[in-house]
Amino acid sequence: MNSRTLSNIDTAVGHGRSARWFCWCLLISALAVIFGFVTVEGAEHATATATTALDSKLAGVSTQIQHEYTLGKQFLYSYLVAFMFFLSLCLGSLFLVILHHLFDAAWSVPTRRMLEHIASLAPVMLGLFLPILIFAPQIYGWMNIDPLGDHALQAKSVLFNRPAWTVVSVMLFCLWWLFSWRLRSHSLDQDKDGAASHTVAMRKWAAGGIFVFAFTLTLAAIYWMKSLQHAWFSTMYGVYYFAGSTWVTLATAYVLALYYKKSGPLKDVVHKRQLHDFGVLLFAFTVFYAYIHFSQYFLIWNAGIPEETFWYVLRETGSWWDVGMLIVFGHFFVPFLCLLRIDAKLSMTVMLPMAAWIWLMHYMDMQFNIMPVLHPTGMSLHIFDVLCFVGIGFVLITVFRRWFAAHPPYPLRDPRLKEAITHHEVKSAPSGIETH
Amino acid sequence: MPETNTPYALIAEFETAADIMNAAVRVRDAGFRRWDVHTPYPVHGMDDAMGLQNSKVGWFTFFGGMTGFTTGMSMIWWMNKWDYPVVVGGKPLFSPMFAFPVSYELTILLASFGTLFGMLFLNRLPKLYNPLLKSRTFARFSNDRFFITIQCDDPKYSSTETRKLLEDSGGRQIHFVED
Repeated sequence: MNSRTLSNIDTAVGHGRSARWFCWCLLISALAVIFGFVTVEGAEHATATATTALDSKLAGVSTQIQHEYTLGKQFLYSYLVAFMFFLSLCLGSLFLVILHHLFDAAWSVPTRRMLEHIASLAPVMLGLFLPILIFAPQIYGWMNIDPLGDHALQAKSVLFNRPAWTVVSVMLFCLWWLFSWRLRSHSLDQDKDGAASHTVAMRKWAAGGIFVFAFTLTLAAIYWMKSLQHAWFSTMYGVYYFAGSTWVTLATAYVLALYYKKSGPLKDVVHKRQLHDFGVLLFAFTVFYAYIHFSQYFLIWNAGIPEETFWYVLRETGSWWDVGMLIVFGHFFVPFLCLLRIDAKLSMTVMLPMAAWIWLMHYMDMQFNIMPVLHPTGMSLHIFDVLCFVGIGFVLITVFRRWFAAHPPYPLRDPRLKEAITHHEVKSAPSGIETH
Repeated sequence: MPETNTPYALIAEFETAADIMNAAVRVRDAGFRRWDVHTPYPVHGMDDAMGLQNSKVGWFTFFGGMTGFTTGMSMIWWMNKWDYPVVVGGKPLFSPMFAFPVSYELTILLASFGTLFGMLFLNRLPKLYNPLLKSRTFARFSNDRFFITIQCDDPKYSSTETRKLLEDSGGRQIHFVED
């Protein structure tokens, strides 16, 4: 164990390596901000013009804000895509930790610590959010138009005004930080004293946390992704982002558990059962995501009213249609059929390529949600897409690895640990015992 | 119990889960196919100890689901596009979109039928009569004893060797039940 006090590590602002890496994040964010200032010079005067799309005159709403394409905007949009991708992992991990406590689960004890670390990346995410916070008007067209001339914006102006957007955005990170910090810090304290009271405390944080999680994730999805086209309606958008996020997190958790089992730290505690259960959950969320995304599309398709359809019309333009098809088949059918057999969930030749594929699919999903606003005629990958993804990923992975190395790799004295380790049998037959 | 001319199975009794686990491994390694383990509660690891493969029920589920999906799609296509075409809400006469909820429900329905009836079929259930229940001690499998039963029609079965195997594995009260 490290001699540093826990609170320092948890808040990542204390002394030592964590603090240094927090400073690195701030530095990178600051560089991004400076870069943004250089590239978007003068762009703030290029006011976004609200144009009414087909039919929307009748409905009296403006459905599209046309963006002038600049390199600065390309950077910000690429950055937003990468940010939302990694936020998925952060929130998905928080959800899995909360879920663990809510269900008093035993199987997931050995893999809980790594998820606690990923969830605790929330303050780092706040640092990485700064470019989006500062250049919000470059990304979100509604910030530049007068609500009095736009009915949809006026109707939503309680949430959709810049002060509210800024304050709530920062608050979301604070809440995620609070809950992930409490959950991890109790878990780390339990490593030292083994007191059952920590388990009770974590359960309470989880019970409150699940509500806070649902509200904050929904707000985040609406504020940072959906509001790119502020006139749109979808009551499923929050759960849509949640489904994709948990899906990609489960694939990541599977690979991490396997990696740390092979490389040592989790060798004695992660068994077939943990991998199997992650695989089963991954399969469930494959179906859940498809269910949610189909429902959203189906309701809009069936109603066929312009206030809603324009969002998908844009995403059926040019090569976005192909991306949509890729999501239908690649995000659902391929993983569904590959993971259908129960033994596939334990086959490394299936699961490892599948996890990589799932990362790609979730990234394409984020592109599909965000980029059509900037590139309305079709998908076009930019070098910034790659750079932002690698940059944000690098910062987060580095912080995560430091944290993982600085603490015990799994909850050493969790009351359910023994149960998780000893009951590692995987039932290969879901039904009872057949006599033939 | 006296042995009869048409024995059905050989029953051996064990006292602990560990005993029966070891015995199951030995019976498995001896290559028996028509045998079973009866325990008062689920014993973790027993599937591996018995060498049970993945259940075949999944195939019934899969084909049930496929049948449901294609039934839903083709039924709606036939009714809306062919048998009684009516334009509703300016939508095409057939689209997988509106056929999907029904197909999806039918997928679930027939997949669960496949699961249930596939399981019953593979287990030869419902079974109104089981010779094992003739044994007086066997009823304790639902209380405090563990049993291994080896059917006499197993290809590996031999009246002396099999009894010896069970004895060596720690089985007690080894006896036959008749058919």
